[in-house]
Amino acid sequence: MDFNQMVLVVFLVGSVLIVAAMIGVAATTRGAPQPQSQVQPRGYALRARWFWALGAATALALLISLPFVPYPSNAEMAGAQHVKVTAQQYGFALPATIPAQTPIIFDVTALDVNHGFGIYGPDNRLIGQVQAMPEYVNHLPFTFSKAGHYTVRCLEYCGVGHAYMQGAFEVK
Amino acid sequence: MSEPALRNDAAASRVMWIYMLTGVAIFALMALLGLTMRMEQAKWIPLDPTMFYAIMTLHGAGMITAMALCGMGGLWYLMNRERALSTLVAYWAYALVVAGVVAVLLSVFPGKFGAGWTFLYPLPFIGAAWPSWATGLFLLGIALVNVGWIVWCTQMFGCVVATYGGIRGALAWDLVFHPKRFAASGRHAPPPQAFAALVAAVDGLLAGAAGMLVGIALIVHWLSPSIPLDPLWAKNLTFFFGHTFANLTIYMAIALVYVGLPRYANREWHTSQVLAVAWWGTLLFVALAYFHHLYMDFVQPRPVQYIGEVVSYLAAFPPAVVTVFGGALLIFRSQLRWTMGSMFMFAGMVGWIVGGFGAVIDATIDINSTLHNTLWVPAHFHTYLLEGVVLFVLGWIFHQLEERSAAQSSLLMRWLVALGIFGGGAIFLLAFYVGGADGVPRRYATQPPPGPEISAWASVGIIILLIGFVVCLMEAVRLARLRRAATP
Repeated sequence: MDFNQMVLVVFLVGSVLIVAAMIGVAATTRGAPQPQSQVQPRGYALRARWFWALGAATALALLISLPFVPYPSNAEMAGAQHVKVTAQQYGFALPATIPAQTPIIFDVTALDVNHGFGIYGPDNRLIGQVQAMPEYVNHLPFTFSKAGHYTVRCLEYCGVGHAYMQGAFEVK
Repeated sequence: MSEPALRNDAAASRVMWIYMLTGVAIFALMALLGLTMRMEQAKWIPLDPTMFYAIMTLHGAGMITAMALCGMGGLWYLMNRERALSTLVAYWAYALVVAGVVAVLLSVFPGKFGAGWTFLYPLPFIGAAWPSWATGLFLLGIALVNVGWIVWCTQMFGCVVATYGGIRGALAWDLVFHPKRFAASGRHAPPPQAFAALVAAVDGLLAGAAGMLVGIALIVHWLSPSIPLDPLWAKNLTFFFGHTFANLTIYMAIALVYVGLPRYANREWHTSQVLAVAWWGTLLFVALAYFHHLYMDFVQPRPVQYIGEVVSYLAAFPPAVVTVFGGALLIFRSQLRWTMGSMFMFAGMVGWIVGGFGAVIDATIDINSTLHNTLWVPAHFHTYLLEGVVLFVLGWIFHQLEERSAAQSSLLMRWLVALGIFGGGAIFLLAFYVGGADGVPRRYATQPPPGPEISAWASVGIIILLIGFVVCLMEAVRLARLRRAATP
C-alpha cells in the first residue's frame, strides 16, 4: 500500500465514522424526546471537548506535515544536480537519463501557457509534481531511489492536447 | 400578517423562486454535461477533445453559478424578512448573472471556448482551438456574472449593516465582548442567517473585486495582445475570485438550514457567542484559503503556502464544531419530523463534513504533492457541492412546498429518493476519490489506466443519481400542485 492509498483508507474510515455518528444522532429522534433546555447543556459540554480534541488533532497534523513541504532549501539548491525541464503545448523537453541516488533539482518552466510537471514512477504511481509556468522557474527537489522508466504527465490543463502531453526519462 | 407585509412576502417569494428555479435548471443541464464527460472518459461515447474541454469549461462555470443563484435567492428571501429589500435591485443582479450565463453559453455553444472555468492566463489566448470572439464573449460573460454578484453582495452588506447597527452590530461584537451590557440593553443579536449574509457579502465583495481586476486585465489583453500580464499575478487573482465564490455557496446555503431545520425539530437555533465567533473565523478563513490552490507554484512566497495550510485546516472548525455540531444537537432527542425537506437538510450537513474532510486532506502541502490536479480535487468539491449545497437547496425547496401544501412525501418516496441521490452519489464520488488516490489526472479527455474503468463506475453512479433527482423533481411538482390548490 503506497502513501496515497493510505490517505484514501484514512479518508474512507473517517467518512464512515462521520456518517455513523450522524446516523446515530438521527436515530435518537425515534426515542423518547427531551426538551432542548435539557439537551443543550450536555451538548455544549461535549462540544467543548470536541473543540479541544479537534484542536489537538489539527495541531498534531500541522506539526507532522509542515516539515515535509516539497520546497527546496538554499542548501538543497546549492548541493543538487540541476535538471532543466521546459514544457510547451504539448510536450516536455528534458534529459533522457537521470542518475539514481543523486539529489536532483528540476528547474521547471514553460514557454507558452501553464502546465504541470507530474512524475509517475515505474509502477505508474504519481510521486511528485510542480507547476510549469511561463516567465517563472519552479525548483522541484527529488532523489530517485529506484532505477527504471519514469513517465511525466501534464497536470495543469493546457489546451485540447492536454491529455496527450507526456514525457519520459530513465533513472539509472 | 398585514396586507403590505403579505404583498412584500409574495414579492420576495417570487424573487426567491426565480433565483432558485433558474439555479436548479442550470444545475440539471450541467449535471447532464457532467455525465457526458464521464461517459466519454469511460469510452462509452465518442467526443471530440475540443468539444470535451468546451463542455468541461461550461460545466465548471455553470455549476458554481447555479449554486450561487440558489444561495443568493434563498439568502435574499431570508434577509428580506429582517429588513424589506428592493426587489428591483434583486432583479438587476439576477438579470446580470443570467446575461452572463447566456454569454458563457454562447461562447461554448457554438464558440467552443475551452480554457476551463479557471481561464488561466495566457491559455485563453495561446494555441486556442476556438475563435477569438469566443474568448472575448466568455470573459464578458464571467464579468457580467461577477457584476451581478457584486450588486447582490452590496445589497446584502447594506442590509446587515443597516439592520443590526453597523458592522459592530452585524458581527455581534457586544454580544461576545460585553454580554451583560448587551443583554441589559434589550437589543437582539442578529439571527444565524444574518452571519451567512455578512460573510457572503464581505468575502464576496473582496472576491468580486479580485475577479473584476483580473477580468478587466484579461479583456484588455484580448483587445491589445501586446499588453502582457504576469501569469502568477493572474493566477492568484483568478483563484482568489473562483475559490472564494465557489466556497461561499455552501455558507449561503447553510442559512436555509438555520431557518428550516428548527421548524422540523420544533426547536430554536439562536445566535450564541460561540456561533458569532465561529462566523468571524469563517469570514477570515474563506478569504485566505485560496492559497492552497497554488501550493505547486513553488515561486509563491513561502509564508503564504504555510498560511494556506493552516487556514484551510482552521476553516474546518466553524462547520465541524459549531454549525454541523449545532445542527446535530438541534435534532438530538427532538421530535424531528422526517420529511424530504428535513432529510435533505440533515444529509447535506453530512456531505459538508465528509467533503470538508477530503478538502482538509488535500490542503496538506505534502499530501497535495501527489493529489494536486488528480481526481481527488473534483472528489472533495463534488462532495460538498452535490451532497452539501444541492441538498441544502433541495431541503429548502421541499420545506417551502411541504409547509405551504401541508402535505408530505411517503416513506417509500423518501427511500427511493435517498437511494438514488445518496446511493448513486456515493458511487459517483467514490470513483473520484479512488481515481485521485491512483493518481488519475483531472481534466483529461482521455485518461490513463485505471481512469476509464473508474469513469465507468462514476457514470453508473451519476445515472442512479439522476434517476433519484428525476423522482425528486416529480415529487416536488406533485407537492407544488397541492400547494397551488391549497393557496387561496
